[in-house]
Amino acid sequence: MAQLSIRSVSKSYGAVQVLDDVSVEVEEGSFVVLLGPSGCGKSTLLHAVAGLNPIDSGSIVIGDRNVTNLPARERDVAMVFQSYALYPTMTVAQNIAFPLKMRGLDRRTSDEKVAGVARLLQIEPLLSRLPRELSGGQRQRVAIGRALVRDPRLFLFDEPLSNLDAALRTELRAEIKRLHQSIRRTMVYVTHDQTEALTLADKIVVLKAGKIEQTGTPLSLYDDPDNVFVAGFIGTPRMNFLKATVVDDGKALTAGEARVDITHLKARLDNGRTVTLGIRPEHLDEKEGVTLSLAVDVTERLGSTSYVHGALPSGETVVAERREDQPRFGETITLRFQPTRARIFDAEGNRIR
Amino acid sequence: MRPVAAASDPTRHFFQPIIVCLTVASVALTLFVIWISLHDLSLMRAGREKFVGLDNYIRFLGDPRAMAALWRTVLFTVLATVIEIALGLAVVLFLDRDFAMKRLVRTLLLVPIIMTPVVVGLTWRFLFDPATGMANYLLSLVGIAQVDWLGSPRIALFSVLVADIWQWTPFVILLVMAALESAPTDPLNAARVDGAREWQVTWYVLLPMLRRALAIVALIRAIDSIKAFDLFYIMTRGGPALSTETLNYYGYIVAFTNFDISYALAIAIILTVFTNVALLTMYSVLFPKTGDR
Repeated sequence: MAQLSIRSVSKSYGAVQVLDDVSVEVEEGSFVVLLGPSGCGKSTLLHAVAGLNPIDSGSIVIGDRNVTNLPARERDVAMVFQSYALYPTMTVAQNIAFPLKMRGLDRRTSDEKVAGVARLLQIEPLLSRLPRELSGGQRQRVAIGRALVRDPRLFLFDEPLSNLDAALRTELRAEIKRLHQSIRRTMVYVTHDQTEALTLADKIVVLKAGKIEQTGTPLSLYDDPDNVFVAGFIGTPRMNFLKATVVDDGKALTAGEARVDITHLKARLDNGRTVTLGIRPEHLDEKEGVTLSLAVDVTERLGSTSYVHGALPSGETVVAERREDQPRFGETITLRFQPTRARIFDAEGNRIR
Repeated sequence: MRPVAAASDPTRHFFQPIIVCLTVASVALTLFVIWISLHDLSLMRAGREKFVGLDNYIRFLGDPRAMAALWRTVLFTVLATVIEIALGLAVVLFLDRDFAMKRLVRTLLLVPIIMTPVVVGLTWRFLFDPATGMANYLLSLVGIAQVDWLGSPRIALFSVLVADIWQWTPFVILLVMAALESAPTDPLNAARVDGAREWQVTWYVLLPMLRRALAIVALIRAIDSIKAFDLFYIMTRGGPALSTETLNYYGYIVAFTNFDISYALAIAIILTVFTNVALLTMYSVLFPKTGDR
């Protein structure tokens, strides 16, 4: 049974449609990430689930309760905010104890629970400090502690790592993952960072302009994107998109001088049709396959691998991974890829399978 | 060896003379005032003053009119500050939502603050006129007996208080509203998710965040109330039967009606010391040294 069901939720601010018929099912104990660029409505959706933002139509069901018209405090969810949202005038201990206090828990039980959470998150030495005496990472730990302490039905995370520096983000990301594995609670996590989404999620919901583009496991979104948007949004560096034309009665494509066999596709394409060929940078470093020649512009050396930026003879820019050598500016190198690695999209950006 | 940095800092040529001037002006004047207050300088007996030591201060302690004025000042200051803060805060919390003409309302709030106290005083004097005033007319509409607003010694102080509240509550509203708008809203939402009812959100999260702003506004209002003069001068002139005479106003009477300059300055010094002690106490209560929460 789904722990959270978002059913046909729509919301608009004036003439701007922020959420357009969005439906998401979140399984009990799973980790779902709402992923999308800023302004796609993912935070609005999370606030709607929390009860901080009324929706225009649709319904939200948590467990077996329809909470669509319930105020936030009756929904039994916990939320971690991007800005940490700690109570600035309370100490760390008081912050964590606040949800318990609001539920009228007695002092001793509350103290025990706060101590337990502090131990779990290793923030015991901070308990008597004020939020402004803490670093960003410590603050977010406290905010997570405040969410953990009362054992809610649902955890909501609203871009919790966006205000942290890169190293801390990686560290806390792993910690959230570990946390989820140990407590196995349902979590919904909003981010614009696809690395966070890919590493944390059981299921990713990709949103764009208030609509769901695709829902699936991280690997399925990466391997089998439904459209150009998802293909380009997931994966770094992003997928290369080349203009291609159908030839040979739908048996192949030509992209520049390259000829790509597409007999593995189920769909039959008409000769002369213009499509988009997508190929990921990491799939351009094969021993054999279709060849493209690339005039190297910039090489980014990352140690274990390199990314080569350059242009094809057609003028289209391409990024390719290069594991063996590091070509320099001005060189022309040969890229090879397997036709089955290529993803084909129609003129509207939808996937052709 | 002298610290090189301090000696060679060329900006000292600018700030040091200013410090010297300010120090000389304030210290010299204060000492001069204290010196005069230790004499019996009176314009009625010009040129015949002599040193009397602490006589003026002892006289103050035994002067029932002065002690009554001091008590009245305390009462007026406490009431004005508490009521203005409470009322202002209530209005701010009530106005804390988006509504049409919010900007207009905010502009209208400025009107009482901009008006000169003379106009405010005269206006309220007309309103409180027992025979022709609006206040008694409104009372008559609901069938309440007429009140002699400014003529009754038991009521007059509170009538002036009403005018002061009318003029200065909007000031509290503006400052607290600015503080509220710069306060983060996420903690309020966090509290809602954490299970707080709206009054609990306000009480446990919002008000503590506004504490500093409220404390500063309260300090400003308290200082102004202790020094209040214009409304009293225009509305009651300390009357009837001295029932609205504050210490500040009494000092004015002693100086410019009785021409007893030394005693007036002694009163001024006592008022200053009293104000400082009271406000420093208030300040240390509102901003405890251990992490100003």
